[in-house]
Amino acid sequence: MSATAADARIAPPRRSGFEPARALTILVTAAAVLGPLSLIFYQSLLDAPFFEATKHVGIGAYQFVFADPDFWKALVNSLLIASGMTLIAVPLGGLLAFVMERTNLPGKRWFEPFILVPSFVSPMVLSFGFVVAAGPVGFYTVWVMQMLGLEEAPWGLYTVPAMAVIAGLTHVPNVYVYASAALKNLGSDVEEAARSAGASPLRVAFSVSLPLIMPSLLFSAVLVFFLGIELFGLPLVLGDPEGHLVLATYLYKLTNKLGTPSYHLMAAVAVLIVGITFPLVLLQRYLLQGARKYATIKGKAGRMKELPLGPWAWPAAALLALYIFVTVIVPVSGIALRAFVTNWGFGVNLVEAFTLDSFKFVFNEPTHTRAIWNTVLIGVVGGALTVACYTAIGFATHRRNDGWSRFVDYLVLVPRAVPGLLAGLAFLWVFLFFPPLTPLRTTIFSVWLAYSVVWLAYGMRLISSSLMQVSPELEEAARSVGASRGVISRNITLPLIRAGLLGSWLLVFMIFEREYSTAVYLLAPGTEVIGAQLVSLWQGGAIDIVAALSFINIILVGIGLAIALRFGVKLRD
Amino acid sequence: MAELTVQDLHLTYGTNPILKGVSMTLERGEVVSLLGPSGSGKTTLLRAVGGLETPHKGRILIGDKVVFDGSAGSEVPAEARNLGLVFQSYALWPHKTVADNVAFGLRLRKVPSGDVDSRVKKALEELSLGHLAERYPHQLSGGQQQRVAIARALVYNPPVILMDEPLSNLDAKLREEARAWLRELIVEMQLSALVVTHDQSEAMAMSDRILLLNNGVIEQQGKPQEMYNNPQTLFAADFMGSNNRLKGRVAQMDDRRALLEGEGWQLWGRPSATTKTGAEGVGMIRLERVRLAQGPGENRVEPELTTSMFLGDKWEHIFHLGDTTLRAHSADQLQPGRHWIELPRPDFWIF
Repeated sequence: MSATAADARIAPPRRSGFEPARALTILVTAAAVLGPLSLIFYQSLLDAPFFEATKHVGIGAYQFVFADPDFWKALVNSLLIASGMTLIAVPLGGLLAFVMERTNLPGKRWFEPFILVPSFVSPMVLSFGFVVAAGPVGFYTVWVMQMLGLEEAPWGLYTVPAMAVIAGLTHVPNVYVYASAALKNLGSDVEEAARSAGASPLRVAFSVSLPLIMPSLLFSAVLVFFLGIELFGLPLVLGDPEGHLVLATYLYKLTNKLGTPSYHLMAAVAVLIVGITFPLVLLQRYLLQGARKYATIKGKAGRMKELPLGPWAWPAAALLALYIFVTVIVPVSGIALRAFVTNWGFGVNLVEAFTLDSFKFVFNEPTHTRAIWNTVLIGVVGGALTVACYTAIGFATHRRNDGWSRFVDYLVLVPRAVPGLLAGLAFLWVFLFFPPLTPLRTTIFSVWLAYSVVWLAYGMRLISSSLMQVSPELEEAARSVGASRGVISRNITLPLIRAGLLGSWLLVFMIFEREYSTAVYLLAPGTEVIGAQLVSLWQGGAIDIVAALSFINIILVGIGLAIALRFGVKLRD
Repeated sequence: MAELTVQDLHLTYGTNPILKGVSMTLERGEVVSLLGPSGSGKTTLLRAVGGLETPHKGRILIGDKVVFDGSAGSEVPAEARNLGLVFQSYALWPHKTVADNVAFGLRLRKVPSGDVDSRVKKALEELSLGHLAERYPHQLSGGQQQRVAIARALVYNPPVILMDEPLSNLDAKLREEARAWLRELIVEMQLSALVVTHDQSEAMAMSDRILLLNNGVIEQQGKPQEMYNNPQTLFAADFMGSNNRLKGRVAQMDDRRALLEGEGWQLWGRPSATTKTGAEGVGMIRLERVRLAQGPGENRVEPELTTSMFLGDKWEHIFHLGDTTLRAHSADQLQPGRHWIELPRPDFWIF
């Protein structure tokens, strides 16, 4: 740094063009995503399990499925429930988002975690909660019957419309997160204009605010419909008593239908389900891009003023309270009660009926303790490893616009279209018949791998939103002083996204505590997790144990939620 | 010797051409400004030199080493070009201290750690940042952050330092001080610098040479005083200062002068290469060249005073001559009404 500067110049290090780490990351991801899926597709075209010596290629499996009246019933039920829940979740989610995001409802910030609870609690657990709370002999049903002096339950829980209503209510958070994100970007002047023209708050919501976020609502409608097609735990629990099947439960029941493992039939149904869901995923991607475009146009949020509700605060608060009561308090309190009492009904004092027997049984049974331990392990350690893997994939595509990046972009979408139940099935086959992985079949690793692939799209969204927050100039500055890509990733980008990664770890923890369907087919001694255990116990009718395990599961999710709230982790993107 | 040579550089975003054949050189110890309106391609040119954008045609040489050659398809990546780049936003790494920010480039070059410390210390002291070495960027003022960004780019003695709008993030008062300080630093340390700016007075104050870019091509280049006093095109004349514009028709012309005629006025001026008798023309004169006069004479007009503004060190008057607005400065206030003003022939350019 002086007159002799030119002589003292220091040359930067040489750099090589090939990046083996990147190539390996992309290769492993592609294998993990496409391997199991192609196996399902291949299996669906055979007339016997793919590992048997004599098998023929053909479309026999599809012919069988199409000839089965149960399949058509299940398809119709799936479409009915998916449409019904969309019709319920979208307006309700939009309205709740409007109340929470745009109005001055007192104390509303305290409610937000409760609105989001249904998206963190396993659907299996929630549905079970509805059964014990509002089923024919549920706590609340009995109370209501007592109060009104009725002879039988005033509602039926096990019908297709009831399933649509409950699925609709529990999927409100999926609409809520997108609607409220879009409403945040809306300037308050448009609402004030409507207000001064004489519109009531409800009128403002339905005539101005919600129409302006139509692209986001449309996106979430497709999302909810798609989740409706995937539905498994809820129809398994609520549809069973009266024999209503949907696509996923049809597939699940198919295992036992013919007596022998009918892998080719299951694969055919799986391919048919993916045939419905994959276009929906592509449609979501297209709509989300549109929604983002719209949001940036309206992005000049400027001054944000909350809409004064005045006397409308009462109906708004009532709506919010009713939603939280029905969707969160009823099922969760039902499970909590059911786990701690021996019996209930007319004239039973719940305090006298208090018992810890179910928990004692759970903790004395190695299968169940292993399930609890595995669930904690897969959430904490597995979650950390998963976030590490997602981060590696994120770095393989970060700030690159080549063919490989676009390939990975679509690659991570693929598992999104595969319902967890099918992915678990595919991974079961891979672990059974791909020799290098066979020894790991009865370890929790198999479940972890399946979880990580199933939640790839969700996780990558978390990671890339962290990566996008790093200003490109910080990385360019490092390049200009002589840092290669690897050095920039380690020294600049990674330290800067550390907080985001910790938040992602927590969210992945909660997702893994909640997950159940992916582990159903992988369930074996050694791979038990609470979610899959619940499905199997429910089938066996061990209601006491289901209640105790559900309660433990809620506690685990609750711990994650409490830590997230404590450290201000954003529960949504 | 030229430290930096750019030859016929073309760069396109999608189908949108940004640079359409730019050539330039930067000599050792020289400061060159890339000046132009937004969208003229000046930042893109700087980033292409830095290796952060890939042109599709042309050549870039640093010293005698080719770092980009479109026809050979060869490109040296940004991290191997050994340039110093100062970002408009400074782009200081928020998780590293000032000393670590500056040391990063040296560590990447495997400089022994004792040398790293002494060089960082020296660089920080030269920029009066010695006492801030252990601070984090968010604990510094804008001016201090800017100096850290410069120290970071200079510490490994790059042959050329590239600066993208180095002063635009400072507030107006600080900017003038920083301009003088930066010019002094560059001269003292004999740096070769390429500086992007959209502010013509900043460009004139700081640089030895100005490259005026317009729509992806170099409109004119030269020393600041040439650019200001002898613009070759209407765009260059208009961009470099505050001007009066008069639209008219060229009535007469000889080799040294032309007569521009408008509604109720006739003015002699210096013709440009494209001026033709009988064609439409635009007359232009710098505000500070317009003089108040006492009575009629050559190149004088008598417009009506519309309003006056007090600027502190002078008055600015706005006159109307038919449809044309004329502005002029004076030391004193003027009475309402008509006034004679002179647009001296050598200072009146016709394009």
